Amino acid sequence: MSNPYLYTLVRWLAVGGAIILLMFATYGFLRAMKARRSTAIGYALILPWLLGLVIWQLFPIVASLFLSFTEYDVLTPPRWVGLQNYRDMFTRDPRFWPSVRLTVLYSVISVPLGMLGALATATLLAREVRGVGFWRTLYYVPAVLPAAATALLWRWMFASRGLINSLLMPVYNLLGMEPLSWFSDERLVLPSFIIMSFWGVFGANTVILLAALKNVPKELKEAARVDGASSWTVFWRITVPMISPALLYVMIMGIIGAMQNFTAPLFIKTPGGAGTFLNVYVYQQGFTQFKMGYASAVAWFLMLLIMILTALVWKWSDAYVYYEGEVRNQ
Amino acid sequence: MRRTPKLITALLLTLSLLLTACGGTQTDSSDTQGGSPQPAAEGKADEQSASREKVTIRLATWAGAQEAAELEAIIDEINAEAETFQIVHEPAPADYYTKIQTMFAGGTAPDLLWLAQEYVVPYAARGALLDLTDRLAADDRPVADLDDYFPLVLEHAQYEGRTYGLPWVAQPVIVYYNMDLFDEKNIPYPTDDWTWEEFRELAAQLTDKERGIWGTSFNGWPPVHMFIWQAGGEVISPDLKSSPIDSPEAIEALEFYNSIIYNEEVAPPMATVNEQGFSEMFKAGKIAMFFGGASDDLDRVEGLRVGHVRVPQGPKNRTTFAWTASTAVNAKTEHPDEAYEALIALTEGIHNWKIVPPRKSMATAEQIIKNEPRKESGAETIMQAAQEMRAFRIIPKHQEWDTIFWEQVQEPLYSKKGTAAELAGKARASLEEVLP
Repeated sequence: MSNPYLYTLVRWLAVGGAIILLMFATYGFLRAMKARRSTAIGYALILPWLLGLVIWQLFPIVASLFLSFTEYDVLTPPRWVGLQNYRDMFTRDPRFWPSVRLTVLYSVISVPLGMLGALATATLLAREVRGVGFWRTLYYVPAVLPAAATALLWRWMFASRGLINSLLMPVYNLLGMEPLSWFSDERLVLPSFIIMSFWGVFGANTVILLAALKNVPKELKEAARVDGASSWTVFWRITVPMISPALLYVMIMGIIGAMQNFTAPLFIKTPGGAGTFLNVYVYQQGFTQFKMGYASAVAWFLMLLIMILTALVWKWSDAYVYYEGEVRNQ
Repeated sequence: MRRTPKLITALLLTLSLLLTACGGTQTDSSDTQGGSPQPAAEGKADEQSASREKVTIRLATWAGAQEAAELEAIIDEINAEAETFQIVHEPAPADYYTKIQTMFAGGTAPDLLWLAQEYVVPYAARGALLDLTDRLAADDRPVADLDDYFPLVLEHAQYEGRTYGLPWVAQPVIVYYNMDLFDEKNIPYPTDDWTWEEFRELAAQLTDKERGIWGTSFNGWPPVHMFIWQAGGEVISPDLKSSPIDSPEAIEALEFYNSIIYNEEVAPPMATVNEQGFSEMFKAGKIAMFFGGASDDLDRVEGLRVGHVRVPQGPKNRTTFAWTASTAVNAKTEHPDEAYEALIALTEGIHNWKIVPPRKSMATAEQIIKNEPRKESGAETIMQAAQEMRAFRIIPKHQEWDTIFWEQVQEPLYSKKGTAAELAGKARASLEEVLP
């Protein structure tokens, strides 16, 4: 066993073999318990995923809840401190609330704006024009690029003599103002991140909304037109209600994603930590400040915030989301 | 009645959405751990038999490709000679400390590890590092002779009188200057006896805003600590009991630093530095005088004629900051004796590779040129700078202390949100709260 890489390879193969054996064991066990053949096969096949979920996600999530009540510097065993971390977070930490404010404002502003953008793009791409496949591919490309590369690209575009300021030069001249310094200006950090977030608009969201748009029955629209409805009315009274489940989905996923914004703010330097989103703060506390317990507490607070926002959207959705075949009493 | 199942479904859906969304972002960070090979030493339980099989000593470093190849050549030589151990190098150039911490938490930490100066004391104070004091005292090999190390460099590897690591490098800061920019304006090159005021004066003369050329560039680097030391002040007292950053000496240094940083008369504004890159601007010929570490490649740029000079002298002395790193031994290593032997051999090897070896007997121009032939023209300056070099004084909660010092003193000062005296006076209490 002189070569450590060989040793690692052997270990990996052993783990793979063990999982396969476990899958057979699961199948055998379920069959012995008189489960249906298809059921047994199903559970056996999802076993690797289930193991992954429990070991790599469920366990860490539960463990972090425990750690959030401890002082844990990673190198020594965690020490129970009760609610101390949460108390410090809410009352003593001067960096916590600005970070919460930034994260929430970012989500609340960027997600609806981004949805409007995605909806507009999807409407455009839903038209049957020549080469539409090419355009659809083109608009999806940004979603495929690695987040870190995108962050660097945007940092460059927002530079004082970058692309965006060059384009805006005529405006600056007209208004007689100094070019904005975007990420280097504390007050413009949030707007810069929001503008940057639209990049994501052209990815998955557009595709989802496009699919939903394609599913809107033509008959409904035609019937409305026959009745004399304008395209605007058709869009707001028929198209939007018909795709409202997709909109809801995009909105909730958008909020969850926006609240967890991490890669871009980690890569983009901002003055005074003005661009420290909560998730970045969690990372900093846990991995550079030896405060894993505190970081866990912040992470759970973030989780709670996301839950609340999601629940609000969900509650509110009753009013405007229509599911196909649903009958409503006015 | 009908609302309850609906509510439960909604909650479940929310939870599962959260889980998948969380999962999505976490895969990015988790695969950094999956990829690292972990050749476990624990598998070799059979060594207590008389067979003199070599013990595997795992060494973690942040060495990148080129550096790792050079280091591995040294390790190969050591392994060939060693009878009791075999060093296995595990480089982790990205997210090094994240990985190290995770490995300590998971009980798979390496036997030997590189730690930059900020980390030795924090790790040692938390019991993660092996106390080397007695072994070093009983060892008469030259590399184990602590008296030979520069005391203010060695300090970063010591806590409460015990030694937890051997420094393998100390890179004093020197000033690299662009000869062409001096020649253009017929300004004589700086000499080793220059002072703060002369430096600032030169920087003003060399600045040519219209052409995008500045006399110097600061952005938090060089560390303001160095200027505070040069003024006769301290950021943390030797007994680690106080942080006198509001002393007249410290204020003088903070004010001097603040008169340079982002002041367009002598240095580029922050936005320009952020966009064009800090050292990149010097390499692009846009900065006349730049503070760099001794082994930086600033003097190897095609088409750039670069001179070396010591940092300007402060009001009291010319203490030079030195970026320093040590190799330490994991407290939980299964083979402390072999790990110690490996540490000694490795440190000796690295002292003959990196500049500057942090030992008085080796901080000579000849040794510097031998270790790094490309530094021939700067060797004399580096050697002299090394005589007065000093690393940071580190406390167990260094990272917290440093964040406060940056966020409550330096940053607001550099963005003109207060005077040095106000900010330092206010921050001192918070800084002292995290002292041991």
